[in-house]
Amino acid sequence: MSIRSNLEQLMRSRSFSFRSLRRVCLVPVLALVLASCADDKPLNTFEPRGPKAQDVYDLMNPIWYVMLVVFILVVGGGIAIAFMNRVDGDTLDPNDLPEQVHGNTKLEILWTIAPAVLLAGISVFVVDDIWNLEEKNDPEPCAVGETSANCDGLDVMVIGQQWWWEYRYDVDGDGFFVDGNGDGVVDDRDRDLPLEFVLDPDDVATATELVIPAGEQVDLLLTSRDVIHSFWIPRLNGKRDTVPGRWHTWSLNADSPGKYTGWCTEFCGLSHARMRMSTIALEKDEFEAWLANQASAAEVPSDPEAMAGRELFAANCMSCHVIRDDGADGIIDYPDDFAANVPLASHAAPDLTHFASRTTFAGGIYATYLGPGTDPNDDAFPAENYLDISELAQNPTAADDYRWNSAELKRWVSNAPSRKDMHSEVDPESGLGRGMLPFPQLTDEQLDQIVAYLATLD
Amino acid sequence: MASDNGQLALPPGSSVTTTSVLGAWARPDKPTGLMNWVTTVDHKKIGIMYGAASLFFLLVGGVAALMIRIQLATPDSTFLSGDAYNRVYTMHGTVMVFLVVMPIGAAFANYLMPLQIGARDVAFPRINAFSFWVFLAGGLMLNTSWFLGGGPDGGWFNYAPNNGIIYSPGHGIDFWNMGLLIAGIGSMTGAVNLITTVINMRAPGMTLMKMPVFTWMTLVTQFLLLFAIPVLTVAQVLLAADRNFGANFFNVQQGADPLLWQHLFWIFGHPEVYLMILPAFGIVSEIIPTFSRKPIFGYPFMVFSGIAIGFMGWGVWAHHMFVSGLGPLSVSAFTVGTMFIAVPTGVKILNWLFTMWGAKIILSTPMLFSIALVTQFTIGGLSGVSHAIAPHDTQQTDTYYIVAHFHYVLFGGAFFGFVGGIYFWAPKAFGFLMNERFGKVQFWMMVIGFNVTFAPMHILGLQGMPRRMQTYSAVQGFGMWNMVASIGAFILGIGTMLTVVNLYTSHRAWVRQGRPNVGADPWDARTIEWSIPSPTPEHNFDTDPVVTHLDDWWHRKYQKDENGKLRLVHTGEELAQAGNGEGVHLPAPSYWPITLAFSLPIIGYGVMYTFWLLIPGILLMMAALFGWAFEPADNLDLDDHDHGHDDQAGGAEKELETV
Repeated sequence: MSIRSNLEQLMRSRSFSFRSLRRVCLVPVLALVLASCADDKPLNTFEPRGPKAQDVYDLMNPIWYVMLVVFILVVGGGIAIAFMNRVDGDTLDPNDLPEQVHGNTKLEILWTIAPAVLLAGISVFVVDDIWNLEEKNDPEPCAVGETSANCDGLDVMVIGQQWWWEYRYDVDGDGFFVDGNGDGVVDDRDRDLPLEFVLDPDDVATATELVIPAGEQVDLLLTSRDVIHSFWIPRLNGKRDTVPGRWHTWSLNADSPGKYTGWCTEFCGLSHARMRMSTIALEKDEFEAWLANQASAAEVPSDPEAMAGRELFAANCMSCHVIRDDGADGIIDYPDDFAANVPLASHAAPDLTHFASRTTFAGGIYATYLGPGTDPNDDAFPAENYLDISELAQNPTAADDYRWNSAELKRWVSNAPSRKDMHSEVDPESGLGRGMLPFPQLTDEQLDQIVAYLATLD
Repeated sequence: MASDNGQLALPPGSSVTTTSVLGAWARPDKPTGLMNWVTTVDHKKIGIMYGAASLFFLLVGGVAALMIRIQLATPDSTFLSGDAYNRVYTMHGTVMVFLVVMPIGAAFANYLMPLQIGARDVAFPRINAFSFWVFLAGGLMLNTSWFLGGGPDGGWFNYAPNNGIIYSPGHGIDFWNMGLLIAGIGSMTGAVNLITTVINMRAPGMTLMKMPVFTWMTLVTQFLLLFAIPVLTVAQVLLAADRNFGANFFNVQQGADPLLWQHLFWIFGHPEVYLMILPAFGIVSEIIPTFSRKPIFGYPFMVFSGIAIGFMGWGVWAHHMFVSGLGPLSVSAFTVGTMFIAVPTGVKILNWLFTMWGAKIILSTPMLFSIALVTQFTIGGLSGVSHAIAPHDTQQTDTYYIVAHFHYVLFGGAFFGFVGGIYFWAPKAFGFLMNERFGKVQFWMMVIGFNVTFAPMHILGLQGMPRRMQTYSAVQGFGMWNMVASIGAFILGIGTMLTVVNLYTSHRAWVRQGRPNVGADPWDARTIEWSIPSPTPEHNFDTDPVVTHLDDWWHRKYQKDENGKLRLVHTGEELAQAGNGEGVHLPAPSYWPITLAFSLPIIGYGVMYTFWLLIPGILLMMAALFGWAFEPADNLDLDDHDHGHDDQAGGAEKELETV
């Protein structure tokens, strides 16, 4: 049966209404229909799952209809006019001229003014929405140095770098910044300093996955350590660029617990396509428990294999990666100006204190835990088998089906540049690298030990 | 004498010396052959060379496009590595914008604009040759990056600080920077030249409001170039200072704000969008009335909406930066400004539709491409309005929705117009009509291929697929539409290539038939370039056309009879000029434009690799400049410097070259 007769049948049927058309996803253009009907599209902008994204969706929804009308009138009308007025050029009598109309000033003024009025009307709602999207929990943003506990809601700093995201939670309540210039006060002048001098080393730092409480607006403070990136969780809000040397604000709010994936959307160099992230929304009490765990120091493992791995970590990995360990035995002990000495353009590598509590690594492209039936030797990015920690929070036994992805972790530790494009070699001029070095000197047994240590960091 | 009109011109032939250039070289005087093309200052040959060069670069950019589509056809593809992909997509964008769409616009402007205003040539013929050669030199230099360590990897927008030496240590971005810096010189000199030509060299009686719409759009385009290119040049000089001389304009560690680059780039980049589309708007404004057999609907509105687009195009650049963190006040201002730029564009669309309303339309290939421009550009315009809604743009920007949008504007809009223009003016430029049946096959292939390629990208973008992505995972659900788009890309690629195939086969058929004369006016067209023989004789017009009407040529053919009814009173063939150029004085060819142009890449390579190369580069440049300066505009060794013919003419065209 043709589409046309299908439609006619639908129009004749009693149940037809504009609303039911919308329910069956007859949103404006066929293209958009397909976009909105799909349910296996984790980045779909037509499935808002938070008030900010919903706001954008609701603003645009009627405008799609206006566009559809213009589309039909102009494109359909144009094609119709052209084909209805066609003549055969070969048999044309040159004296058979159509009426020589030179224009119609009234009509032309009309179609100059009318779209302008229409657009002016739309722009009222648009400008209103631009300001709505900027609204933060606290009308006055937290002053520098003011503890975030004094401001409403949770603030998280989002830092982009090639090619992963860092998140900082101010759990100790003394703000994101410290007195970097040593003038005795924490103020905006500190913010102008290179990032590694002003960030509070006591804040909880995580990577790749931003964990937030569901149903609450989380205000973000965004920046970058190297080039421009863009932070985007399509189902929760639009995107905002993270620009080195600048502090931008943005916010996220998820209606319900769940995992919302995103992707860096400003071209940021070699592995831009592999700079992925997700936001995981947890119930409030689960979130508090998660944050308390993140704030705690890493435990010194008791297992001898993991203990050997810890010593190997200190020998090989500690010049870039931080593990907040109590340091009592002096094995893991960082110099005071650690960040300034990290030989990376960004001066930062992911904080691994609670590495095993994250479900992905390497910028969100590999799963830390593998789901049932997955082949750890599969070279395709298996991060799609995420262990969803929001699901885990509700159903702890789900973890039993998952295993620690030691195969990929070993490959990653021994030769990260072969698993994700990066410029790991140190540039002789600047003395800086932009990625994780390969470690060919580590034996298979040593790799097992390091991976066993990482598994204890939950 | 020119000075009778109070206009600036040297008295012809009286005060210039006849010594040979620097005593070293004789003036080139070959009438045909390679050396003639290399040294020519004829605006028509330069226009054809612009067109040929842009078709060559179209092949380069098109192969890059197909490589991108192969890579993205399937998830987790390894056809191109991340590094190769970044270079290929950067070169695709850069080549298509700077070396295909811009020069093909220049090709039409160079070839047609002097003919449409009844001029002998452009105002500064040698500078015209220089403009072409410097564009070609810059374009070739950019493309040598393929062989010298890889193309640029920063995207055509090349954002700071990713374009800095720390983040892109190879020479790729230097090629981008130097190549476009050099090509930009050609755009600047070309703009000065063509603006001067339009302002000063119109035929007697051709007031501004009697100029063909294409000439008007050329004028607006050249003004956009004149003011936009310097902004890019400034940004590129700053970048060269950073990358090649250790400056800190974009070095965040030294306190730079990377948004400086974005502002500079888009203050150039948005007018750039309009200067790519306006020539195509001009082309279809000639084609649609011709095949509708009606005058353009609302000529003054067409002209002023073009000028309005030109002005408003300067006030909307930050809509490329809605998520850059400008703050809500700036975003609000630019969102409103951007929405209103849809108004003059909409006026143009509706005026084209009403030109066709009540018309008797011949659906020839050029007309089909023009209708395609109107409809496809409308789709691009509508998605453009949806980006102007800044809150929604936070979801769309840097996704494939944007990719779909600007391909609807630049391919479905500008490029379809240019293909229509090639079909329309091929008889005037080459003397033969392109095969119509072939043209219609090509038209449908291109329109179908185009929509199959780019319509799915709207869906992909709204489903959240970001741009500039080397690959994606199966779980993200982008596989099917990417495959569809890739299939469409190959249909479109073949369809586009058929332009050249049709030119070749039509030419061969024409030669086989003994080069029959296609006539001065095969389309029963409207403007005065159709009053001279096809192909255009070297001297253009035998005598100065005197213009009394808008669409003057049509009004000479069609006049009212005693009953007040418009009738064909003279056919084009009866009215056409004979093409007798006897005694016409033409500017002489010169070696210096190409010499000067190709000295610049040597300097560019010198800045990139070793300063020793600056010595030969600068010496060659100085020699070319001095050779040019001491070379008289006319070759007085030739016999054709009989100025009597020109002096009888009343128009401004006689001031051929005084520089």
